[in-house]
Amino acid sequence: MSNARAVGGRRHSRNRLARREALTFYLLISPWLVGLLLFVLGPIVASLGFSFTRWDMLTPPVPAGLRNYVRMVDDRLFWQSLSVTVRYTLMYVPSELVGGLLLALLMNQVSAKGIRAIRTIYFMPSVLSGVAFVVVWMWLFHPEAGLINATLARVGISGPRWLVDPNTALTALWIMSLWGLGRTAVIYLAGLRGIPKELYEAAAMDGAGTWHSFRSVTLPMLTPAIFFNLVLSIISTFQSFTSAFVATNGGPLDSTLFYVLYLYRKAFQEFQMGYASALAWVLFLIILVLTLLVVRSGQWWVYYEGEER
Amino acid sequence: MQGGSRVRRWLILALLWGVALLFLIPFLWMLSSSLKPNYQIFEVPPRWIPNPPRWENYVEALTILPFPLYIRNTAIITLLTIAGHLLSCTVIAYAFARLRAPGRDFLFVVMLATMMLPYPVTMVPLYVLFNRLGWINTFLPLVVPAYLGIPFYIFLMRQFFLTIPRDFEDAARIDGANTLQIIGRIMLPMAMPALATVTIFTFQATWNDFLAPLIYLQRPELYTVTLGLQFFRSTYTTNWAYLMAASLVTTLPVIVVFFAAQRYFIEGITLTGVKG
Amino acid sequence: MPKRLSFALLLILALLVVAGCSAQEGGFVQTVVVTATPMPLPEGAKTVLRVGTGDSGEGLTPHFKIIEMFEAENPDIQVQLEPVGSGDYYARILTQIAAGDPPDLLQIGDDAVPMFVDRGAFVPLDDFITGESYPLDTSIYLPGVMEPGKWQGVQYLLPKDFSPMAIYYNKRLFDEAGVAYPAEGWTWDDLLATAQALTKTDASGNVVQWGIQLPGPWTTGFEYWVAAAGGSLISEDGTSFVGYMDSPEVQNAVQFYADLYNKHKVAPPPADMNAFGGGNSEFDNGTAAMRLFGRWPQSGMKENPNIDLGVAPLPAGADRAGVLFWGGFGISSLSDNPEAAWRFLRFYTGAEGAEIWKDWALPTVKSVAEESGLSTDPIEGVWLNELNHLAPRAYVFTPYWGQTADPALRRVLESAILDPNANVAELLATAAQEAQAALEDVQQ
Repeated sequence: MSNARAVGGRRHSRNRLARREALTFYLLISPWLVGLLLFVLGPIVASLGFSFTRWDMLTPPVPAGLRNYVRMVDDRLFWQSLSVTVRYTLMYVPSELVGGLLLALLMNQVSAKGIRAIRTIYFMPSVLSGVAFVVVWMWLFHPEAGLINATLARVGISGPRWLVDPNTALTALWIMSLWGLGRTAVIYLAGLRGIPKELYEAAAMDGAGTWHSFRSVTLPMLTPAIFFNLVLSIISTFQSFTSAFVATNGGPLDSTLFYVLYLYRKAFQEFQMGYASALAWVLFLIILVLTLLVVRSGQWWVYYEGEER
Repeated sequence: MQGGSRVRRWLILALLWGVALLFLIPFLWMLSSSLKPNYQIFEVPPRWIPNPPRWENYVEALTILPFPLYIRNTAIITLLTIAGHLLSCTVIAYAFARLRAPGRDFLFVVMLATMMLPYPVTMVPLYVLFNRLGWINTFLPLVVPAYLGIPFYIFLMRQFFLTIPRDFEDAARIDGANTLQIIGRIMLPMAMPALATVTIFTFQATWNDFLAPLIYLQRPELYTVTLGLQFFRSTYTTNWAYLMAASLVTTLPVIVVFFAAQRYFIEGITLTGVKG
Repeated sequence: MPKRLSFALLLILALLVVAGCSAQEGGFVQTVVVTATPMPLPEGAKTVLRVGTGDSGEGLTPHFKIIEMFEAENPDIQVQLEPVGSGDYYARILTQIAAGDPPDLLQIGDDAVPMFVDRGAFVPLDDFITGESYPLDTSIYLPGVMEPGKWQGVQYLLPKDFSPMAIYYNKRLFDEAGVAYPAEGWTWDDLLATAQALTKTDASGNVVQWGIQLPGPWTTGFEYWVAAAGGSLISEDGTSFVGYMDSPEVQNAVQFYADLYNKHKVAPPPADMNAFGGGNSEFDNGTAAMRLFGRWPQSGMKENPNIDLGVAPLPAGADRAGVLFWGGFGISSLSDNPEAAWRFLRFYTGAEGAEIWKDWALPTVKSVAEESGLSTDPIEGVWLNELNHLAPRAYVFTPYWGQTADPALRRVLESAILDPNANVAELLATAAQEAQAALEDVQQ
């Protein structure tokens, strides 16, 4: 009897604790909820509304039902831009994950002379504003005057025409983007710096070599950063825009027509905001599904030291 | 044995600087072009050392447009935004990382989802909203949202909080610390690398932000650096030398901040908190 | 509190204070928070006019000069210029219009006029022009510069500046090769012969000097070739691309243009396909003898020691024809002060404004061009004379040119330039069909 009451009391107080914790949670995130309601949800819902209209932005929107969505099926450039974007994402995301990590490992050579300067140099390209960044690369890719082809010519290779050739333009944009890897590397670096030394010491005591301690300590401890970079990389690569906007305008022959570039063109150059909004929502769904898959998969491979088990 | 490790050290150093050179080349070209007259910039074959260097490009690029004013505007926006992110995103991220509540995981996905809709289609409704509030031609639309949490930084902080063992918090809680005290005294000191990252990223992103200032700041005296840089390009011609000169100069502050903020990567968790 | 954290917070606080102090007069808090949309009204009730322009950099100087002159003469009006550099101008003004908050006066480029006007974005100007208080004598303008501001016979915009197309040439390279300078009356055949005479290769067959630098797949510039071939891209009622874009004349134009690149190899291959990105630099480097383009980069060429500059009229194909590129201002139909806006517009784009513009671009007012000696200048005279040969561009027949046929034509030009074996007739037939389908889709 008294035993049962004690159990009940404990359960009661556990409930109260859980309720308090939930309350604290909502209290702490309340700024974000306010922002969500004030500045974020409204425009998002509005754009969903526009996607069911024809709207030239100069006159009021006209209801159009599902027309914009149906139209996509026969829109050659919709499929082209989707295919360009998917191909680019498949090239860029893996290279960002691996390349960024390699760069971070270099940046983590604490004992090397001049490491602070080296880190800064690696990060510098990410700091340049988009236009200047792209313009420099347009020069590097210049078929005659560009440094890349000049260097290739010196070793007897006749370089491709890069941004002018539909077969190489997307690859050129990819190479260009690798120059910005320093940004991703910084996130990995922060993760690397956050790994307690004790773990390495313990691994060393177990007789682990460099490679083994990388596999058994570094990699698992970095999975939260890898998870972050993967999710963000998917979200942002699907929305790539600037490099093509400045360097190629989607050409030649639509070979670099990124999805968001096509959407931007529809909205602000072709006065079809309704269609652009529908395009945006299709992209939204694609990214959402992919992200959910990654988030779900996270429980199998992401290791959180501070997670309750 | 010792010789081997010295060779190894030299190899690593060579690799580090080799990669650094790859990252530097485009900057060297920018520097070189910024000192040329426009007609020499696209010469074939390219000439690395401008002869004679045209230093006037820097003076002219930075005086034709009021860049000191643009830098001041950008600095105000950037500093306020950084403060906002550090204040709001840390607290919100802690909640997502540590506190259990019904709906938490759903809200987390909602937060990620708000990053997935391309900006061009929410631009108009956002403008309408800020216009109603009378915020056009003020820095408010650029700054206020920073205090209400930005998903990218919340997510980033959450990931780092999740790697911190719970023991420290539990100990503090037993000592009677409340949640805010735990965040301030336990979590943040241990998340210094992450805070440094948030600072640097915010600095870089705000400094280079283009579309938002473009839409919300219409009066030239409120313009930011990126809007100013855009002025060297017109539809049919671009003043390359000025664009390069001004880009290099306006990039410097971010580079300096990165150089300085590094100590917080180097002296991260391993030196603070944990053992103390 | 741990030292490092408090240090970081202190640092930020210090930076904030520094930024605050460096913000002069207005003060820090004020700049952040209290800059309301209309400028503060110092004396009485000044009307504030907002003016949107896509001009940038040094190109803004004439705007500011004219505004200063106007405000001195009109103390009841204050003009606030809202410039946006190049590519993103339309994104901004469309956003503003959609939100009901555009500038009172808007600058628009030629091919955007029909769309904006057709959707009621601009106030018709005819009543203002013939009005009693501030009439405008439209006969002061040079021929052809008013037309792009009209839609269906009504004037909606007035000209700010313009450029025809012409051919720059480097006299030094002509002299070295002993080739005569091109002159009025020359033809496409002459162009080809001249370009061939000026194209030089070295012993191993590499081209070291090109005949003519061309503007790649730039569709608007390409309209010159269509007009000179005696063709047109669209029916005059604005309903058909089929039968026009794929006509023999247009085929000739595309073929001749592509042959300059691929068959005769007198034009350097494009360095980038983004028409104005940076692209070809052969003319600037002194390794191309001619360049086909508008007047925009001319001032830079005059300072370039590689170039001894001359400008030649466009060569005639089946017809002697040229095209015009144009920017103008109109009054937004959402403006609260159309009368005040008109007074400024009249000044901005009239004789007073032209007097300032003439130092930056070609003036639109005949008397200004004549009195400043531009009409008889060996270089500027050539540009002005092109106004007598203008053919209408395709956009004047439909508001939908930019979203239907323009991308299709661009693909044709890209294919024809990239692929020496392209079948031009086939490409054009496909493009015309595509454009037609897009047009019908848009008009639904």
